[in-house]
Amino acid sequence: MSRTTDAAVAEIRDLRVEIDGRAIVDGVDVRVLPGKVTALVGASGSGKTTTGLALLGEYPPGARVTGEIRRTGDGPVGYDGPVGYVPQHPAAVLNPARRVSALLDDIARPHVRHLPRAERRTAARALVLRALSDAQLPDAEALLRRYPHQLSGGQQQRVVLAQALLLGARVIVADEPTTGQDALTKSRVVEQLAAVAARGIAIVLLSHDLDVVRALADEVLVMRAGRVVESGPVERLWSAPRHEWTRRLLDEQRAVQRGGVEAEAQSGQPVLEVRDLIAVHNRRTTVLRAPHLALHPGECLAVVGRSGSGKTTLARCLAGLHRDHEGEILLDGAPLPRSLRHRSRAQLAAVQYVFQDARAAFDEHRPVLHQVARTAMRLRGADERAATDEASATLNRLGLPADLAHRRPGELSGGELQRAALARALLARPRVLICDEVTSGLDTVTRRGILDVLAGLVGDGEDLSLVLITHDLDTARLAHRIAVLDAGELVEQGPAQRILTAPRHPFTISLMETTERLEAGART
Amino acid sequence: MTTHRRFALGLGVIAVPLFLALLGPLFTGEPGPRATSFTLGGDHWLGTDFVGRDVWQQVLLGGRTVVVTALAATALAYLVAVPVALVSALTRLRWLEELLMRPLDVLLAVPSLLLILLVASVLSPGAAGLALLVALVNVPDAARIVRAAAGEAAARPAVEALRMQGESWWRIAVGYVGRSTMRTLAADAGIRLTGVLYLVSTAAFLGVGVAPDAADWAVMVDRNRTGLFVQPWAVVVPALLIVALTMGTNLLFDAALEKKGRR
Repeated sequence: MSRTTDAAVAEIRDLRVEIDGRAIVDGVDVRVLPGKVTALVGASGSGKTTTGLALLGEYPPGARVTGEIRRTGDGPVGYDGPVGYVPQHPAAVLNPARRVSALLDDIARPHVRHLPRAERRTAARALVLRALSDAQLPDAEALLRRYPHQLSGGQQQRVVLAQALLLGARVIVADEPTTGQDALTKSRVVEQLAAVAARGIAIVLLSHDLDVVRALADEVLVMRAGRVVESGPVERLWSAPRHEWTRRLLDEQRAVQRGGVEAEAQSGQPVLEVRDLIAVHNRRTTVLRAPHLALHPGECLAVVGRSGSGKTTLARCLAGLHRDHEGEILLDGAPLPRSLRHRSRAQLAAVQYVFQDARAAFDEHRPVLHQVARTAMRLRGADERAATDEASATLNRLGLPADLAHRRPGELSGGELQRAALARALLARPRVLICDEVTSGLDTVTRRGILDVLAGLVGDGEDLSLVLITHDLDTARLAHRIAVLDAGELVEQGPAQRILTAPRHPFTISLMETTERLEAGART
Repeated sequence: MTTHRRFALGLGVIAVPLFLALLGPLFTGEPGPRATSFTLGGDHWLGTDFVGRDVWQQVLLGGRTVVVTALAATALAYLVAVPVALVSALTRLRWLEELLMRPLDVLLAVPSLLLILLVASVLSPGAAGLALLVALVNVPDAARIVRAAAGEAAARPAVEALRMQGESWWRIAVGYVGRSTMRTLAADAGIRLTGVLYLVSTAAFLGVGVAPDAADWAVMVDRNRTGLFVQPWAVVVPALLIVALTMGTNLLFDAALEKKGRR
């Protein structure tokens, strides 16, 4: 025991967490060192979050826990060396009814109790401001007056981080801090966590984003099905992975980076064409201008941009879900009605849309198979039996076994539902399939699976064209052509190779640079 | 397992008032001679009421009007409110939504009892007319609540996905949005039935729909109040029956929802 007590600020030994007799974490050892970043890596459901929360002394309800968890200064549990937690969705832990200043002052006040009453206020304010600057939040004065919902997701995350710093946390558990973020935001999160670690605070990073792990972590533990399959310094793990699963994780990551469909797009009559599109919200605010955009048969077009750049609006205009727009959308040269209510069945079937949040896009009361089959029944007039057969064949082809297809959406994982959502759209036999951020929020293995499915769809010669909406340049590599959106303007478009190697517009360049910096950070 | 227990409890609680209300009149014998007001014991094991009638007989006779009127009024209110709410939640035509919902707001502003008294003074309705009136004053509340729940469901991506699949309006409105509002609807129905019961009772007390000395649980509570400390049973028993009816309904709805949520 004395071997480990000298340096570690927190330690987990032989942790086993069991729910209903099923172990979700089994035999896990973690040592957390001050000033170092310890990363827990693994697919969703591998036990990362359960292990991370165990450091706080939190367990899922009804869990049976064995093993030892120690934090330095542990008298009463965690009192002297509290562990801070930055959850994946920080909005959930910030009281929406109170301003940021109140949220932070509450924590600062006990620290200034020893001072005379008159000085407490200013001292507390000074503590709050220091915590905010440590959490990389500039412009603190303006920020303190806001309510949590008036902050961006990244700012909320940093406010939670500031709370943890104010508490005097020696260990901070960051749960998927970069999920669903674009490259610029991601690199900012990395910088901010690195700055915190530089102050001697131990960071436990739970992530499936291997770029971020590579850039930040000192020690990596690879988890699978509740067990640590491999651990070690990050350089060793990346250069010489020992366990088969680690190799698979890393290979998939690299494949995403290298990937891309080789086939060249044909010219000629575009299947879908956008002319002088101007989309507005609330009849006033212009959110998107796209003078010209064409999609050829069998082509994959990626639309790239940061969140709020108008890329989802573009996709929704194409699908007929956003009717507030001017200009024309042509399908095979014939204009499409703006609203899908006015589109014919054939037109509806021709342009299909896959939603970002697959769970919200399914009816929670009906089995998935039934919902998938409805597309063929409604849009192609198939009878129920034929539609069900086709649905289960398609689901099977996309990697969703029959027993899962008969369940309700609530019993399927995010990745499985996304496959089902793709199958639902494909049953219309569409000419154009629009995928809106279908891979964000999935771990690398699951994401790779979905991207493989998409690449297979374009490759199999059925003349299906794909529109990939994404903030992620890795995903965009899959495409033949890339269109870049910034603040509602279509700033650049061209062949993927050209955009990725020789971007012309300043915004594209900056987007590329941040991605490269993340990857470079991951390699050096 | 606890769901089953809840079901059993709900059924047990609701069975007594429903049984008495629906089948009670079959068990009453000849109305005996009137005795002294507000007495206890003797031939009358629940005592006598304010005009000296046997309380037990009154209890057996007095459930049907209240229960049937209240149930009919609640059902009628939803029959109008749910379609109105679903149409206005799913339409993208602003004027149609305004046309459907705004008149209800006007109705909402008029105190319900005042409206009932006004109409009653002009038309003097019977029990059926009272049910219609009570339903009418409940439509705005119910429509607003269902509209809010349906509006939330109608904004989900699932509805857009259904549209993308070319599903009919009917299937989207009833099959998905309507179904998603069931929880809210059931919770609201439990409360509304209670409110309607008391509105019917109050109206009966004021002489609308039911005669002021009629055998009616609500009328009994009101009329026998004066003798509450002399002969409590004439008030307590009918009041308990009304409470059991509303509580049992709520318990049953809760159990049904819980079972559904678990699946």
